Amino acid sequence: MIDFEFRKQVMDYHMGSNIIKYCYQCSRCTDYCPVSKVTKDFYGTTGYDPRHNILNALLGYKEAIFSSDPLTIWGCTVCDTCDELCPQNIELTEIFTFLKNESITKGEGPDYLYSQAKAIFENAKAIPSQSAIERRRQQLGLPAVATPNVKEIQTLLRNIGSDKKLKEE
Amino acid sequence: MTEYKMFEGCTIGNRIPFVEAASRKVFEILNIQTSQAPFSCCPDPTGMKSFDNNAWLTIGARNLSLAEEEDKNIISLCNGCTNTLRGVKHQLKHDSSRKEKVNAELAKIGKEYKGSIDVRHFVDVLKEKSDDIKNAITKQLSNLKVACHPGCHYMRPSEWMESDDPMHPTTLKEIVTISGANIVDYGVEALCCGSAVHNAYEEHGLQILKEKLDAVKKSGADVICVNCPACFQQFDTLQRNVSKKFEKEYNIPILYLTELLALAMGITPDEIGLKFHRIRLKSVIEKLEL
Repeated sequence: MIDFEFRKQVMDYHMGSNIIKYCYQCSRCTDYCPVSKVTKDFYGTTGYDPRHNILNALLGYKEAIFSSDPLTIWGCTVCDTCDELCPQNIELTEIFTFLKNESITKGEGPDYLYSQAKAIFENAKAIPSQSAIERRRQQLGLPAVATPNVKEIQTLLRNIGSDKKLKEE
Repeated sequence: MTEYKMFEGCTIGNRIPFVEAASRKVFEILNIQTSQAPFSCCPDPTGMKSFDNNAWLTIGARNLSLAEEEDKNIISLCNGCTNTLRGVKHQLKHDSSRKEKVNAELAKIGKEYKGSIDVRHFVDVLKEKSDDIKNAITKQLSNLKVACHPGCHYMRPSEWMESDDPMHPTTLKEIVTISGANIVDYGVEALCCGSAVHNAYEEHGLQILKEKLDAVKKSGADVICVNCPACFQQFDTLQRNVSKKFEKEYNIPILYLTELLALAMGITPDEIGLKFHRIRLKSVIEKLEL
């Protein structure tokens, strides 16, 4: 079933243009995708497939993307190889970012992403400072890491509504 | 003299600070001046951006605004941080409605993003200092065979990284060559280390890493040289996991570009904490007679 609202969101997401509609399914993206290489079977029927994602996204087949194996969305390793090799200059990774953001909002993303966002919300750093590392920094003659303003980061995230996407662990 | 705001990032600052120690020492020798700022997470272009692009843009723009307040460019030690900060600049430059929204949020904490400063990857800054590096080398690393891994986000997407050839990168090799070391071509230099997918699917990340390690091992390199902390962690920490999973011995040590340069500039392994690497550098240290 075509989801026209989803299709519009995809078209609008690509910065400044709806260039995604010029995809002619040449499959360079999938052919050079490092994750496709290690996940696809001999017939190419399973595994991570960026070409297929672009096709479903531009046709508005939202269900096909979101109701299948999460690998469909989360197999992307953000190497940006497809962006470079696409003959139509489609920024595939930006479309995949949109799909990932949607998956997160549905609460269907990988645990790691929720933990990292929580760490940033609580500490303003993806990796909080630890006393053992602080001591090591001293031993190495390094200055202490400048302390970020956690309150400001929390205010921003609350106002954007990102805090609502966090999960209790 | 230009002074940069140092953006060491979460991984280097709070997990592998020995890389920062080597970088600061090399910068000092090359007269690259830096100062600190209370930056938050960049945030992660493979993590927070995938979580919520608007949050990624807003937090990234806040970091940029801190450097703008001092009218100084940023020097980043990390591919991911550089990719985020340049990517945020790119999106906000080309999408005025996103910029308005971001600035509306920043205004609530008394900040504003202007887009007035530049974000430099340290590799690009070092490239401009080639002659100074040459003059600072006191120990030629001519015994050493080096496999270079610049990492995806140093050069891709080329549209906003504007650094190196996106599929055939050469800058890292050029800088390593100045140290006297020999570059070993292993064929898959531009391949991802598997870091981002590893966070969601461990087995796929390890499989990609194996492809790289197999190629490097076959090439006979003594060491892998990197310029990204995520790649460093992938190679240094997960190499044993690949060995265990695929029952194959690798044991290839890793050097951050600034660690390699520090050694070539006469700084001792102890001064830069090389002992904190997971994969021991004994073979490299013996080969270089350090």
